[in-house]
Amino acid sequence: MSNYKFNIDPKEPREDQIERHKDFGKVMQNYQRMTNPLYKTPLYRYRKLFLIVFLVLFVAWLVAEFGENENEKKNSPVDSAQQLKKDSVKPIKDSNFNKQNPQLKSGK
Amino acid sequence: MNEHHKSEDDLRKELAIVEAAKSDPGKFGVLYEKYYRVVFVFVFRRTGDEEQSGDIVANTFLKAMLALPKYTFKGVPFSAWLFRIAANEINMFFRKTNRERVVSLDKSDLGAMIAESGESDNADTQKILLKALGTLSPDEMQMIELRFFEKRAFIEIGEIIGITENNAKVRTYRILEKLKVLLTKAGGR
Repeated sequence: MSNYKFNIDPKEPREDQIERHKDFGKVMQNYQRMTNPLYKTPLYRYRKLFLIVFLVLFVAWLVAEFGENENEKKNSPVDSAQQLKKDSVKPIKDSNFNKQNPQLKSGK
Repeated sequence: MNEHHKSEDDLRKELAIVEAAKSDPGKFGVLYEKYYRVVFVFVFRRTGDEEQSGDIVANTFLKAMLALPKYTFKGVPFSAWLFRIAANEINMFFRKTNRERVVSLDKSDLGAMIAESGESDNADTQKILLKALGTLSPDEMQMIELRFFEKRAFIEIGEIIGITENNAKVRTYRILEKLKVLLTKAGGR
């Protein structure tokens, strides 16, 4: 059995068929993509990508900034001291408390 | 002298363009324009498919651009180097797709091969020769295509296949001897 398909007296491809595939711009673009990888190309060359990266960084900065403010508010020393005071010094309303502890009543 | 041969002056001018393209890839466009058609026809004759040929030729030129700094002049047209890359791309395509290889030839080429083997050229002998050609390995077939169906010089065949001119001659005649034996056997002589 033959390993080949023989084309005897084949027609040459027409000029328009050949021209249809001819595109040096595309070859050049692929060449540049392969020789100058994305990490080596200045970001401003790709407007969309530049905008997306800028937005992502901006949002990240906003989150970090506001997150920090919130944490600072929660952890500020003045606030925590006031909270501690509120929690610890509560008026004792139990009437039997003074009877059980007379020294506290007389101030001794 | 056939269409594949070039004068010393042509080769020198071409080498100047190649050297310029090494430092400025944009100048490769001159070589692209000059050789696109011949490389396309070279690939089309071996695939028989326009779309596949377009893709293979695009890859061929891209790889040529990437490998251009390594190119060294060996006294043959730059196209021989492009054909070498194209031939590798074609082989890779057939390995990947497992498609049947296409061999394009003219009837007159068959006649010339039969005459070289010393047989008489008729329809039967042509059939037998085609059958014998069908048994050749892809490397052997490539050699026959380049020498007998495309009428290239041995020095150019050597550059395309990556062997010396003498080696190309020896291999071609060995294949011819093999075909002669097959023709004689099939002819019952």
